[in-house]
Amino acid sequence: MSSTILRRPQVLIASAVRSPKSLIVVLGVILVISLFPALRETLPDWAVRLPKAWLPDLAGPINRFFVWLSRKAEIGPLRVKDISRGLAAVIEMPLSLVQGLLVTGLELPLPLRKGLQLNALPWWALTAALTIFGHWVAGRRAAALVLASCLYFLGLNLWDEAMLTLASVGIAVIIGTILGVLLGSAAHRWPQLDLVLNPTYDVMQTLPVFSYLVPIILFFGFGPVAALIATVIYAMPPMARNTTLALRRLPTSVGELASMSGCSPRQRLLLVLLPAARQGLLTGFNQLVMLSLSAAIIAAVIGAGGLGNVVLQGLKSMQLGRAFEAGLGITLMAIVLDRLSRAFALRRPSHGTKMTGWRRHPELFCGLGILALGFVAAQVAPMTRDFPAVLTGSSGRMLDDFFTWVNVSFAGPIGALRDGFVRHLFRPTKDALLSLPWMAVVLLVALAAHQVRGIGLALATTAMLSFIAITGYWDMAMTSLYLVTISVVIAVLIGFPIGVLAAQNPRLGQATALVTDTLQTLPSFVYLIPVVMLFGLGDFPAMVAIVAFALPPAIRYPMDGIARVPQSLTEAADMAGCTRFQRLIHVQIPCALPEIMLGLSQTILMAFGMLVITALVGTRGLEQETLIAVSKAKVGEGLIAGLGISFLSIIADRLITHGSARLRRRLGQV
Amino acid sequence: MPDTSSIIRCRNVWKLYGPGTDATRDLSAAELNDTYLQTHRLVPAVRDVTLDIQKGEIFVIMGLSGSGKSTLVRCMTGLVDTTRGDMLIGDDNLTGIDARRLIDIRRRRISMVFQDFALLPHLTVLDNIAFPLRVQGKGRDARLARARELATLVGLDGREDRFPHELSGGQQQRVGIARSLTTDPEIWFLDEPFSALDPLIRHEMQDEFLRLQGTLHKTIVFITHDFEEAIRIADRIAIMHNGRVVQIDTPEGLILNPADAYVAEFTRKIPRHRVMRAGSLAQPVTPLAEGTPVSATALLADIAPRILSSDRPVPVADDQGTIIGAIDRQQVIATIFGTGAV
Ligand SMILES: Nc1ncnc2c1ncn2[C@@H]1O[C@H](COP(=O)(O)OP(=O)(O)OP(=O)(O)O)[C@@H](O)[C@H]1O
Ligand SMILES: [Mg+2]
Repeated sequence: MSSTILRRPQVLIASAVRSPKSLIVVLGVILVISLFPALRETLPDWAVRLPKAWLPDLAGPINRFFVWLSRKAEIGPLRVKDISRGLAAVIEMPLSLVQGLLVTGLELPLPLRKGLQLNALPWWALTAALTIFGHWVAGRRAAALVLASCLYFLGLNLWDEAMLTLASVGIAVIIGTILGVLLGSAAHRWPQLDLVLNPTYDVMQTLPVFSYLVPIILFFGFGPVAALIATVIYAMPPMARNTTLALRRLPTSVGELASMSGCSPRQRLLLVLLPAARQGLLTGFNQLVMLSLSAAIIAAVIGAGGLGNVVLQGLKSMQLGRAFEAGLGITLMAIVLDRLSRAFALRRPSHGTKMTGWRRHPELFCGLGILALGFVAAQVAPMTRDFPAVLTGSSGRMLDDFFTWVNVSFAGPIGALRDGFVRHLFRPTKDALLSLPWMAVVLLVALAAHQVRGIGLALATTAMLSFIAITGYWDMAMTSLYLVTISVVIAVLIGFPIGVLAAQNPRLGQATALVTDTLQTLPSFVYLIPVVMLFGLGDFPAMVAIVAFALPPAIRYPMDGIARVPQSLTEAADMAGCTRFQRLIHVQIPCALPEIMLGLSQTILMAFGMLVITALVGTRGLEQETLIAVSKAKVGEGLIAGLGISFLSIIADRLITHGSARLRRRLGQV
Repeated sequence: MPDTSSIIRCRNVWKLYGPGTDATRDLSAAELNDTYLQTHRLVPAVRDVTLDIQKGEIFVIMGLSGSGKSTLVRCMTGLVDTTRGDMLIGDDNLTGIDARRLIDIRRRRISMVFQDFALLPHLTVLDNIAFPLRVQGKGRDARLARARELATLVGLDGREDRFPHELSGGQQQRVGIARSLTTDPEIWFLDEPFSALDPLIRHEMQDEFLRLQGTLHKTIVFITHDFEEAIRIADRIAIMHNGRVVQIDTPEGLILNPADAYVAEFTRKIPRHRVMRAGSLAQPVTPLAEGTPVSATALLADIAPRILSSDRPVPVADDQGTIIGAIDRQQVIATIFGTGAV
């Protein structure tokens, strides 16, 4: 009896997925299933939810394994614990050196007496030097921006925190660059490595930060070193990927030139391939810098200190003014870092000055000179180190009061808005997703995967979704999924029209590009601050933050896609007598559809990226489990829940990218 | 005439692309026919090529796009491994050569100019030219001095400190040419060096190339798909078609005795007077021929005005000054307009 009913949707789906409208039909089927709980009744229980008793305990063994690994395991004569300690020491050295120079001061170990205390660099030397470097790399306006940021940090008493963050970012970027270029070049040389590296990067990039913070804490303890390692893991993959991509994109003649000049393999890589691929490497470098900042801020959760810590403490104690100031500081730093690393990427050598040595780069040497001078001054006359206290202040109180006032006086409308969303959108969606039998979801996704790609992807999605079900996290996964789904739909509803409009009007387009570019540089953490200020805790503020964070790609991809439709096509549409609207509907949007779909997949990935962080404002899905795992040091739960999120986002991404690729082939856009 | 010992020797060279090319090594040449290749999804980029290139000769390889020119030259330089056959540069067989030896050959004996220039964007003109020496570990001063010499040779004086993106296409290829000459190689490979340039610049670069060769006397393997370019510079031309070399001959020989319809079609549009030389047109001497003789190696284009303005046949003399025949007005007209027996 039950099997006949079960077969009906199957048949329906199987026939539907063969038609081009398959996606719509699949969505329809989801709706049908969720709307008819009666259907649910007819399924055996285990197809709806796996009974608790059937679930294997995975987390326990993982926890025990990691504890054993971090405490007792031995590789040959060495204990893993000692290896990780050694690694930590190696990483700590440059980090504490830079932090010492910038903030805390250094202690030089001397053989006999107590170590020699050295003071950190004074603010004026750093400000001057950073401004000069800014000018050197990116010109006058960037220098002004650097100066303004420095003054902001000084004036609001955030200098030390900012410098700590800068130190972490700097070291993470150096390590990330070296690792990324090494791995990227290796993957270029031995393409088989892709098989291992690509999935690893995928997981590294989609696994919630909190999940891998736990094992890192286990090995390296709570603190800046662990934070740095997490930062590198989070930020390095794009560097490696861009390196490989840039090397692969080189014209074959460049490699042939290397051969014909008689290069050894090392000369080939160092003298020819990497320099020739410089532009692509620097794109990766820019991403590395931005992600490092983002991660260094989040790493406050495990004791990285710096600006992120100010935000975190502010959020925890509801001193939102201070959090806001720090958040604005992070924003400034993000914009500055983005500008500088981008300018660095766009820099092309040009001829002219035949000068050598310092005269070729006067600014570099000037800046270093000021730093040296400042260092001496700090030792000789320590009082020059401090920024005059009269010039500092904090608007923290005022801002706190302001937000309290906003919250009190607009409590009515804000509350109504929130409750309306929760009642009419959030709850029904969540209930619908939660009521889906897991087997049905697995089946639908597998069918879709088979349709867009083939049996391989179908098997992979089935394995990933089953993993979530078998580990007992299905309900939490659906809770995560509902928030992401709603947020993505809203982001697309807002972003798509804006993108389409902006594509029609060049000036609007420029403005939109500027805004989205800036929004995109901001670390995810920053988005939480205003949202919490206005809406407090819970799913609604989380949704707002996710929408805001995921909006840039939702705007940018349709906009660029439409703008990139070949002029000959739009002209042909005009000559056929299309109105602007007809041109848009019949020519531009269909041609830009693959790009628009890629935008959707980016939007989804960004939404998952933000979702992870929203655990901090009290959401309830898998992300919350990863955050709890951090505080309880439970590696197993953290990893499994994290993998769940990672799998969900990978599935969404794969389905859409392959769908887009198929579409592209059908449109002949190879 | 150049030294006649051959310096490049291809013996039944094959290059197949596709899955499982190794399995084809054990087959006989006859078994590697079209059906076999098709069923095994193999692309025969180069098929059974046997040829010799003499020292000091300008050997041009011609053919349509995809006919295998680049692949053949890449077999000669060891950039791709031949699937079957022997590829000899001097006494070295590139098939299965030791990597160190190959590097050594490339550092000293051969060099290459690329269609897309392949300049390194981060190096100045001078550093680009000096690059092969840098790879060999030569000192900075020595290599820059050599690079400066070559920059002058190819007419890049005053632009030594520019970066590639600050140069025009023609200038960029001058850098590519200079770089390929830095190590003073014996054999010079050029893969469509001027195809990416405008017609005017291309012509200028061909002149430049001939001027350089006039002083350097290298062995040259030059790829082009432009027949006009080929006849301007070639001693001999090899025509490729679907991976096979279908004919190797002098420009004149190709026009006079095309091996098949493909070659004939290839040469059909070529203005004959720009290829034909007096010697091959000369008819047995008639008593009427008079005046100073023209040289047997003179291009018809150069002597046509004189013949056309003369009422009588003009005598043709060989190197030694012996009269070998004569040409009359009728013949010139017939040759130029493609009528009559050519
Ligand atoms: N790496 C490769 N893999 C597979 N097939 C290849 C490869 N390189 C070349 N081929 C094939 O070999 C054939 C000859 O290519 P080749 O580049 O030698 O032609 P070409 O005469 O130089 O053409 P062009 O004038 O366009 O440069 C072509 O059919 C090409 O598709
Ligand atoms: Mg070619």
